[in-house]
Amino acid sequence: MNDISSASLRAFELLISGDAQLWTIIGVSFSVSLRAILIAVPIGLPVALLLAFGRFPGRRMLVTTFNSLMAVPAVVVGLTVYLMLSRAGPFGDLKLLFTQTAMVIGQAVLALPLLIAMAHAALQSADLRAWETALTLGAASPRALLTVMHEVRFALMAAVIAAFGRVIAEVGVSLMVGGNILNYTRNIPTAIALETSKGEFAQGIALGAVLLFLALVLNFFLNLFQGRGELA
Amino acid sequence: MTETVLELIGTRMSFSGKQLFDVQRLTFRSETCLVLTGANGSGKTTLLKIAAGLLAPDRGTISFDGRDFSWQRAYRSLRRRVVYLHQFPYMFDASVFDNVAYGLRRKGVPAPEARAQVRQALEWAGLSGHTSQNARSLSGGEKQRVALARARVLSPHLLLLDEPIANMDEEGRERTLFFIRQMVSDGFTVALATHERQLVQQVAQLHLRLEGGRLIEKAVPARTRLKQTRVKKARSA
Ligand SMILES: Nc1ncnc2c1ncn2[C@@H]1O[C@H](COP(=O)(O)OP(=O)(O)OP(=O)(O)O)[C@@H](O)[C@H]1O
Ligand SMILES: [Mg+2]
Repeated sequence: MNDISSASLRAFELLISGDAQLWTIIGVSFSVSLRAILIAVPIGLPVALLLAFGRFPGRRMLVTTFNSLMAVPAVVVGLTVYLMLSRAGPFGDLKLLFTQTAMVIGQAVLALPLLIAMAHAALQSADLRAWETALTLGAASPRALLTVMHEVRFALMAAVIAAFGRVIAEVGVSLMVGGNILNYTRNIPTAIALETSKGEFAQGIALGAVLLFLALVLNFFLNLFQGRGELA
Repeated sequence: MTETVLELIGTRMSFSGKQLFDVQRLTFRSETCLVLTGANGSGKTTLLKIAAGLLAPDRGTISFDGRDFSWQRAYRSLRRRVVYLHQFPYMFDASVFDNVAYGLRRKGVPAPEARAQVRQALEWAGLSGHTSQNARSLSGGEKQRVALARARVLSPHLLLLDEPIANMDEEGRERTLFFIRQMVSDGFTVALATHERQLVQQVAQLHLRLEGGRLIEKAVPARTRLKQTRVKKARSA
């Protein structure tokens, strides 16, 4: 009990004193996850658009597939990306394993199914009248599509935020393809998972607090955006 | 003299193999208020959407500017010339101003000019006090007027109104009818779909009925025409 409270006190000190190592770890987390989302969005959004408004055989099956892929555990995604990037794998020559780039790729892969499924649901909820109104007022189809996306922008933002929340808190991918290298690939979840087992409670608690705070902030925005979606 | 604005020839439409209608000829004449009646599900909305270039018929020829086109070749022009208003007009999640400016922006009208036109249209619709309000928060009748103003600024060759007075109280109906009549007397070509016969007496200059998949021309009570001329005279005076 005494251990925990002194560790908590120490965690608080670490946070407010601007402990360099701690903030490096936090920086790695944000940098990697933001890049992963920046890659996932331009891939996921067109796919979601195609699934929502495209007419082609196998569309329904693809929707179901992405919905199921959401449930794949992060370690399994990590394992898959690991096998791809390992020396014997198809992309082994790129020597990406245990780099931030590998983490970015892995997290982007992890984010995609959630992003696609949620963006697809958002686009599907769009009112057909929005599309027709844009067209009848003289918008060309691509512009009308932009208008429809703008109409469901809050639900689309909720999808992006949920995807970010998923990747910044996951351990599996980061650990397997990043390797938890200090000052390089060690991020918040891998630090918590591994340093705690070495008895480094204070750092774990401090990082846990950061994640908790982040989760609260993300959820706040998620609720805000999803609330806007319903109002509209 | 009225002239043909747009004509639909041999328009056939079916849903999942079941034929809805086969309309030989539907002619929209300039400065004429056409009322299209028909029972629920007779295909009024479908026909209007085809004319607006929003829905592809199984078969049909579109005629304008003295030339015939297949629907597939005509729909882009239709979208530019025709404005269709839904029974419950859709309001973009934006200000009343931005809703009315939407079409002008798509046309590339310079901002100062567009602003002036939007202001004028909002004044016409009695919505000047709502300019910066989010259009979603308006009442049903106000939304209808935003939609009319939004169409009006584009000066479409043809304005199609789907059930414009359904789900309105008596006052809302009167008010909406007033605006529709005004647009007709301002020279707009208007066609409206309704299943309420009452509207025929109130605004129709031409009455077509969609029944059993065919269009039938019906007689229009004489006093409608009278009312129409009166509005015109009052405006020019
Ligand atoms: N996208 C569609 N898919 C299948 N059937 C459709 C579709 N759109 C319309 N229909 C059918 O076509 C018929 C005519 O519909 P439409 O909306 O044109 O009728 P309406 O005359 O406007 O009716 P109302 O007076 O109720 O507005 C209806 O039976 C409807 O179920
Ligand atoms: Mg209808």
